[in-house]
Amino acid sequence: MLRYAASRGSRAILTIWIAVTVTFFLLRLLPADPTLLVVEGDMTPEMQDALRSQYGLDKPLLQQYLLYLGQLVQGNLGVSFRQLVPVTDLLLSRLPWTLLLAGSAFVLTLLIGIPLGVYAAVGRGGPVDRAVQFFGITSNALFIPSVAILLLVVFGSNLGWFPIGQAIDPDTRGLAAYASLLHHLALPLFSLVLVQLGPYALTLRTNMAEVLGEDYITSARARGLTPRRVVWRHALRNAVLPALMLMGLQLGTLIGGAVLTETVFAYPGVGRLIFESVQQLDFPVLQGAFVVLAVTVVLANLLTDLLSMALNPRIRT
Amino acid sequence: MNGKIGRIRKAGAALAIATLVAVTGCSLNEGGGESTGSGDSGEQAGGATLRIGTTTDMENFNPLQSLSKTDSWILNATYPSLLRIDENAQKVPELAEDYTTEDGGSVVVFHLRDDFEWSDGTPVTAKDVAFTAQSIMDYQLGNVAAKLTWVTGIEVRDDQTVAFTLSEPYAPFAEGLGFWMRVVPEHIFSKAGDLSQFANDSDWVGAGAYILESATKGQRYTLKANENYPYAPEGGAAVETVEYVVYPDVNTMILALRNGDIDLMGTPVPVSAVASLEGDENIAIETVGSLGFAHLTYNMQNPVLADQTVRQALSMVVDTESIIETILQGDGEQMVGPISPTFADYDNTDLEPYPFDPAGARTMLEEAGYADADGDGMLDDLAFEVVCDQSNANLTRVAEVVRDDAAEAGIQLDLACIERNTFLARTRGGEYDIDLSQWGVFDNPMDQLRSTYLSTNPGGINYNLVADPELDALVNDAAVTAEPDQFVEKIKGIDAYVHDQALLTPLYVENFRFAYRGDRFTGFDPSPSDLLGMVTGYSLSQVERAG
Repeated sequence: MLRYAASRGSRAILTIWIAVTVTFFLLRLLPADPTLLVVEGDMTPEMQDALRSQYGLDKPLLQQYLLYLGQLVQGNLGVSFRQLVPVTDLLLSRLPWTLLLAGSAFVLTLLIGIPLGVYAAVGRGGPVDRAVQFFGITSNALFIPSVAILLLVVFGSNLGWFPIGQAIDPDTRGLAAYASLLHHLALPLFSLVLVQLGPYALTLRTNMAEVLGEDYITSARARGLTPRRVVWRHALRNAVLPALMLMGLQLGTLIGGAVLTETVFAYPGVGRLIFESVQQLDFPVLQGAFVVLAVTVVLANLLTDLLSMALNPRIRT
Repeated sequence: MNGKIGRIRKAGAALAIATLVAVTGCSLNEGGGESTGSGDSGEQAGGATLRIGTTTDMENFNPLQSLSKTDSWILNATYPSLLRIDENAQKVPELAEDYTTEDGGSVVVFHLRDDFEWSDGTPVTAKDVAFTAQSIMDYQLGNVAAKLTWVTGIEVRDDQTVAFTLSEPYAPFAEGLGFWMRVVPEHIFSKAGDLSQFANDSDWVGAGAYILESATKGQRYTLKANENYPYAPEGGAAVETVEYVVYPDVNTMILALRNGDIDLMGTPVPVSAVASLEGDENIAIETVGSLGFAHLTYNMQNPVLADQTVRQALSMVVDTESIIETILQGDGEQMVGPISPTFADYDNTDLEPYPFDPAGARTMLEEAGYADADGDGMLDDLAFEVVCDQSNANLTRVAEVVRDDAAEAGIQLDLACIERNTFLARTRGGEYDIDLSQWGVFDNPMDQLRSTYLSTNPGGINYNLVADPELDALVNDAAVTAEPDQFVEKIKGIDAYVHDQALLTPLYVENFRFAYRGDRFTGFDPSPSDLLGMVTGYSLSQVERAG
């Protein structure tokens, strides 16, 4: 058990290191130069050199990389090229909004997706199943920005039920502020769940259908247990883990979705920070954001791994 | 098993609550932003609040450094400049009442008003101006450093007088510096240490029309009217609070304007959206000129493009009139030489545009010895790559139109409309045959000609990569001409020379459309360009409530 956990843990650290390294070199291989974006118009070579050395881009690549790793190990993500403030501060100011949006989307997708997947699997070929399949396939093709604008036009502009973009009305206090927070959260959350839910329910349905065909389910049925009991007690126990794992795997798409959602809805999270930093080629911010995201995804996967091992003796090696 | 599901549900609820708490700390909307030391916590004293949409966050609060559009808007309102540009693209007094020259133009003296005051009560003096300029030179900050290249000495003569000594006379020095340099308070910035690393992200002390008061990154920036701003109308500005709200997606911003969540779009309305906004009775649209222009610029390092005949032929396959009519929906002005009609005093109106005549262009090229030896319909050796920025929707369409017309003349154009940062890197590196792009802001023709055509100018925007001794001589001669009439004549001469050489094919001077809630506000005093537009401090201070 311990040995398994240790090997998983070291694999996680390796994964993070690879992610950090790939990000670092990818950014520096871009055919674009961050120093060119600082000044529009006249810029003397001297000024450009001064900026390069200010950004630390004048040192050999390997040295830059080692310096960065050295800082990273100490928990220092460096200073933003453009904003001149520590990347950690920038991320911390934006992270809560992304946690709220993506975290809520994660939980909602689970809460709605699991029952949908289960009902579809149990009533294979029935109306729920057909609906889930149809929804799963179509929502795969949805493009978040289009969905988002459509929602804004219909529910924000035409019906006036929801505000257009932003995260909160700054003039509200106390309970009204919480209400405003949720009011602003509704549409971005809906669009994010909409695109996550279909594929998720569909995959869960397939999983659940497999479980329902297992011998022990057949024997449980043979023992005369009610179908309800078979599904919710026996089958789901074995399908919950894959359900969680699946969601862990979906984290990546969830984060990609958050970038687009936050941009269209003018939501002040990390996703939008990434979008802006790409435009400005602000390497330290991009690296910092990717490190945080990589750590999040890897930790989530590590946790699901360890959890499934604890719950499922068959995985132990 | 129900227990397990229940646990998951509970965990989910707990996660949601935890995130809420994480977002809010303990209470929402209290002390989330950063505030200035000016104290006033935004209680309305009957003044109006004007909300402006912007597509980007502020990057940098240091007025000596920052250059993104949003940064400029907010910092130009907070920190005064010596001169500003009015609606006719003329420089007019702001902090400086006027300027004079001495010693044949090699000393430029600014005479300051005595009624500007920093928001902490300290008067604005010539010392602040001298300190600002000296710091920019010492640290080589922003694009103003290039405007100060000629300065060999700065002298504070008294509180209202500051003199710049130049290594040689340079006619537009005062205008360039006066417009671009934001003056900062010496008593604050001199204590900030290394100004190239100074974030200046709280406790702002300004002297412009509106002073930045609080910033909530990613969301909004609040400015308060400066009661002591000398150019505010009698009785103070009607707009007491200006709030910039960030909408990265311009479509969302348009919806927010329709909905009344904002009162003005700081960014121009895309051509495609103008018609739909014009139909909205609450929305007014203002047309504002440009200080830049769109152009095709030819890389003179390409031996084929170095042939004047080829460049002239290329100018004959560009149908600017129909480009303006269709792509800009009529909302632009034709240009002939490199000087924009916006600068009416300097624009050489005697110049005739190259006619749109692809067949004539082909004949001209054939007479010059270009032939179609392999019979593919295209003249041999006449294949060029055109680079453009794919985020400029108008220009990507222009590229397609020009490519098709060029083919008729036997010239093959291969389009490389690429991601903006890559485009910038390639143009800076000279990796293109033809550069299709748009100049943003030229505040005066002389600076423009120096930057774009002087082979010795290390500014890096000579996209022709031209090194023409004759042109260098013309530019250098004009630059040191102090007598105004002669100066104008010399600029017109360069205009004609560049036009004849066909170093570039100017496409159009774009008009910008700005949309605002006309049912709420009126009286903006816009300046040309999308960098200034409706949102200069001066313009906002003149706004009145509608009705």
